[in-house]
Amino acid sequence: MELWLEARCAVRKKIAFFILLGWLLLFIGDRIDELRVYQGAQIAMYTIALASIVLLTGYSGQISLGNGAMMAVGGYAAALTLNKLESPVWFAFLMAVFFSALFGALLGTAAARLSGPYLAGTTLALAVGLPEIANQFAFLGGVPGILFDVGFPPARFGEEFTQYKWFFWIATFLALLSLFITSNILQSRFGRTWSAIRSNSLAAELSGIHSSRMKILAFTISSALAGLAGAVLAMTISLVAPGAYTLTLSFALVTGAVLAGVSSLPGVALGALILVAIPEIADVLSQGLGGNEKLNNYLPGLIVSLLLIISVIFTPNGPGENLRKHHHKKVTNH
Amino acid sequence: MIRKTRRRGTWLAATVLAAGSLIATALPAYAETGVSSREIKLGITLPLTGAASPGYNKIGNAMNAYFKYVNDNGGVYGRKITLIQKNDEYSPQLSIAKTNELILKDKVFALVGPLGTANFTAVHKSVGLAKRGVPSLFLNTGFSGFANKKSYPASFMILPSYAMEAKIIAQFLKENHAGKKLGIVYQNDEFGIDGMSAFKAAGTKFDVTVAYTSGSQSAATAQTWVSQLAAGGAQVVVFLGVTSATAPLLAVSAAARYAPQWILGSVGSDPLTLRALGVPVAVLNGAQTPAGNPSPNDTSDEYVKQFQEINTKYNTGTAFDDYVLQGMNIGLMTVQGLRAAGSNPTRKGLISAIESKGSTFASVGYSPLGFSKTSNVGHTGYYMAVMDANGDRKPFGGTVKLYTTDSGSGPVVLSTFNRPAMPAKGLPSNS
Amino acid sequence: MQKLLETFLIGVSTGSIYALMSLALVLVWRSTRVVNFAQAGQAMLSTYIGFEIASRTEIFWLGLAGAITAGALLGAGVDFFFMRVLFKRAVSGPAAVVAPVIATLGLLGLIRSIVGLIWGGEFKSIEAPASKDGFTMGQTTIPFSALNLLIIATVSLILITLAIIFQRTNLGLSLRASAYAPEIAQLAGIKTARTRTIGWAIAGGVGGVAGMLVTSYNFLSPYSLDLLLVFGFIAAVIGGLESMVGSVIGALTLGIGLTFILNYIGTSLVFIGGFAVLIVVLLLKPDGIMARGKVRRA
Repeated sequence: MELWLEARCAVRKKIAFFILLGWLLLFIGDRIDELRVYQGAQIAMYTIALASIVLLTGYSGQISLGNGAMMAVGGYAAALTLNKLESPVWFAFLMAVFFSALFGALLGTAAARLSGPYLAGTTLALAVGLPEIANQFAFLGGVPGILFDVGFPPARFGEEFTQYKWFFWIATFLALLSLFITSNILQSRFGRTWSAIRSNSLAAELSGIHSSRMKILAFTISSALAGLAGAVLAMTISLVAPGAYTLTLSFALVTGAVLAGVSSLPGVALGALILVAIPEIADVLSQGLGGNEKLNNYLPGLIVSLLLIISVIFTPNGPGENLRKHHHKKVTNH
Repeated sequence: MIRKTRRRGTWLAATVLAAGSLIATALPAYAETGVSSREIKLGITLPLTGAASPGYNKIGNAMNAYFKYVNDNGGVYGRKITLIQKNDEYSPQLSIAKTNELILKDKVFALVGPLGTANFTAVHKSVGLAKRGVPSLFLNTGFSGFANKKSYPASFMILPSYAMEAKIIAQFLKENHAGKKLGIVYQNDEFGIDGMSAFKAAGTKFDVTVAYTSGSQSAATAQTWVSQLAAGGAQVVVFLGVTSATAPLLAVSAAARYAPQWILGSVGSDPLTLRALGVPVAVLNGAQTPAGNPSPNDTSDEYVKQFQEINTKYNTGTAFDDYVLQGMNIGLMTVQGLRAAGSNPTRKGLISAIESKGSTFASVGYSPLGFSKTSNVGHTGYYMAVMDANGDRKPFGGTVKLYTTDSGSGPVVLSTFNRPAMPAKGLPSNS
Repeated sequence: MQKLLETFLIGVSTGSIYALMSLALVLVWRSTRVVNFAQAGQAMLSTYIGFEIASRTEIFWLGLAGAITAGALLGAGVDFFFMRVLFKRAVSGPAAVVAPVIATLGLLGLIRSIVGLIWGGEFKSIEAPASKDGFTMGQTTIPFSALNLLIIATVSLILITLAIIFQRTNLGLSLRASAYAPEIAQLAGIKTARTRTIGWAIAGGVGGVAGMLVTSYNFLSPYSLDLLLVFGFIAAVIGGLESMVGSVIGALTLGIGLTFILNYIGTSLVFIGGFAVLIVVLLLKPDGIMARGKVRRA
């Protein structure tokens, strides 16, 4: 009885935390200039996408190099719903979640028996192959893609309320909602089961866990998240096109997740921030170093790769781990 | 409990720090966006690297070379022009991201010469150029849709549209290749379809039609194009695509000993770039192409001569070809536009200046410019040219026969237009 | 009928280059249990070095030799300085699943950026050592050229050489032993660490050849070998990562399959076709075509 009351209390605290965070972000959004607002929307998008990796890889231990393809499914589903069915925007996002979840379930079923490099290879092939389908069917728009227009912000917000701010509001709301839901899932029985499967799948099976069903569930939910992120991405660039969901995107997602701690949900905000900040920092650096063309084109990649390698070697489980270890040492050293 | 809060605290601290660094790297703003007392900032997005970049990646530097020349000679009413180039690898998503940077971060006064049909369509919609009132001058694309003033109130073309080009080629086919089997290879998006629709409206019937996805060009895919063309027995083949697709098409055809009469669309026909991409000059010999400018090797032309001098001095190491010529010409047009906007230029002022005075600007192109309050149309015509055994471009039939038309159903007429003389030393003095 | 023959021949030529890549990946996997995504990066760097030599001396074969040497040195270097450090550090926690993959991906990006900073992104090309003109038989010219033939010949030569090394020499025995049972091999006196580095060197050299051969008919740029990596990896997975013969079979299957799709269906379905082939194989045999019943999994 007490346990249940405690759980209810924890959930209420969490809701309060998220609402507070939401107001804070909205407040900040009013004070910063348009470029940062736009980047804020991108950060929100990456947050949702990284959450999908944390769930899939960090918790259920399945490596996927193809979350970019899942994002594509979501993006196209949303755009087609919006354009062909002339539906309201929220319905388009819902369809994005639905179709990518469906897709994820299919993929998960096919991939449930695979592990390690075989799974990596399959998802890699998916990441490369899926966006290509857009080129084959005319209604998918081909290489230039289809426009995705969520419409102007409601008139009651006034003239000063720019399009990008509207994106920021929608994206932030969706990000907070996704994080809330995901965090609840991960802290529940499901999350614990996935961790068990990841650590030792044989032992997990022996204790009665139906590991392939759980793995498929992980794929489904992870894809749903990725699909939502894909729709949000489409919103921010007003476009769905195969070039927005490349292999590079899939790699960037895994990178961001590892940098911030692949099994840490709070870390996704930091990971998202890093992903958006790096091109900026690289720009500043390359301007400082003379700003020639080669630097501009290749310095961001250099920084990302270096960061990745360093973080994987020194903090493979994210920066949080080292602090934990340090604290542990302190505690056990007297 | 303590450990958990401490961990969350670490995250919060790290996030705030990172966010702070992001905000801190924001740049200061100017008085009128992009214009200060000493400088006018302009921006361009183009493919500097990637599959579509060969040839086009020279345009930005060529424009910059011309601007530097003008800056060294007083600038525009004393202001120096700064051109910021951003690489979009011909990908519409990147164009959007880079244009956002140009407008929101670098805060440029106007966009100049953005390249790519799908790219500009995406950018215009996504970044909301019309609503922001950001002028886009002299687009490096010929998509006829951009001439629509209502949809694109602040944009100006310079290249003749792909529809105009197709109509002129259609007439040329009727006059010079009647009765032969025709084939066409085109990029399967708005760029290529613009031309295809015009061919259809003009009544040209192709015996073999090959559409390819932008970006898929390679030796392997070109092989499939050639197989289809050869199987269909096409004797004359029109090609509407970028230079990096022309190259494998021609090279593979040579290797397969398939040698139709080539008619290469103006976008992908620069001989120097094609040869750099491995096309033997023997294959280029006899290829026909519509052209709007004199050949870049024609030093008897005053524009070409002046631009070549500027190129040698300010763009050392780059061979002078069609793209360099085009880039410098856009530079010339831009400076005239900036001057016409007056000594205290505003974005609105720039737009109306080009609308009212743009049609009289000096440009290397032979055809008249169509700017007005109701039209964004730039150049309006082409003459047919042929490449010789040195890969040089000469007018078909010996002398330039310029044809002008519109993007709609208007007729193709032989033109007697004489373009304005180049301003002295290539430095505009208009107002 | 002619189209069938053409497609088959081109497929073999393309597939043979994938075979080199997938072979390199399998070599590394068997000795280190790591899929080396950086293989493409190493191959790319080796090819750029080969390009420099070939364009200065105007001899393709010298460039090829240069690429092999560079590739071998690079492969050994990556193993020695990078992989050993990595394995000491990242062995526990949820990241253990992902860490080696991410590390090699990071290395790929690093090498690509360095190549871009040094050479820039412009397309470069190498003079091919054989003509690209198709063979003419009477009236018809098939798209299979002397270059294609040369590629198949070169790859076959390398495969035979590798087979001899692995099956007939002491080095080969050490390589196989160290990969299959490192502890026992060590007990038997084999210096497993050094042997592993040699394995990486061989893989690197092979990758260099793959890169040079691809560049003989395609342009060279920091991104030009990405496809090779993807298809090489898929080929290795199809063949089963445990078997070198399997990876070659997988690569040829993939090459022929993809060329069929290209010629008969259309260019837009090539990648998804590769994915389909992969999924079908893995559904039937999750450990690849050549997997035996009980396969060693570390």
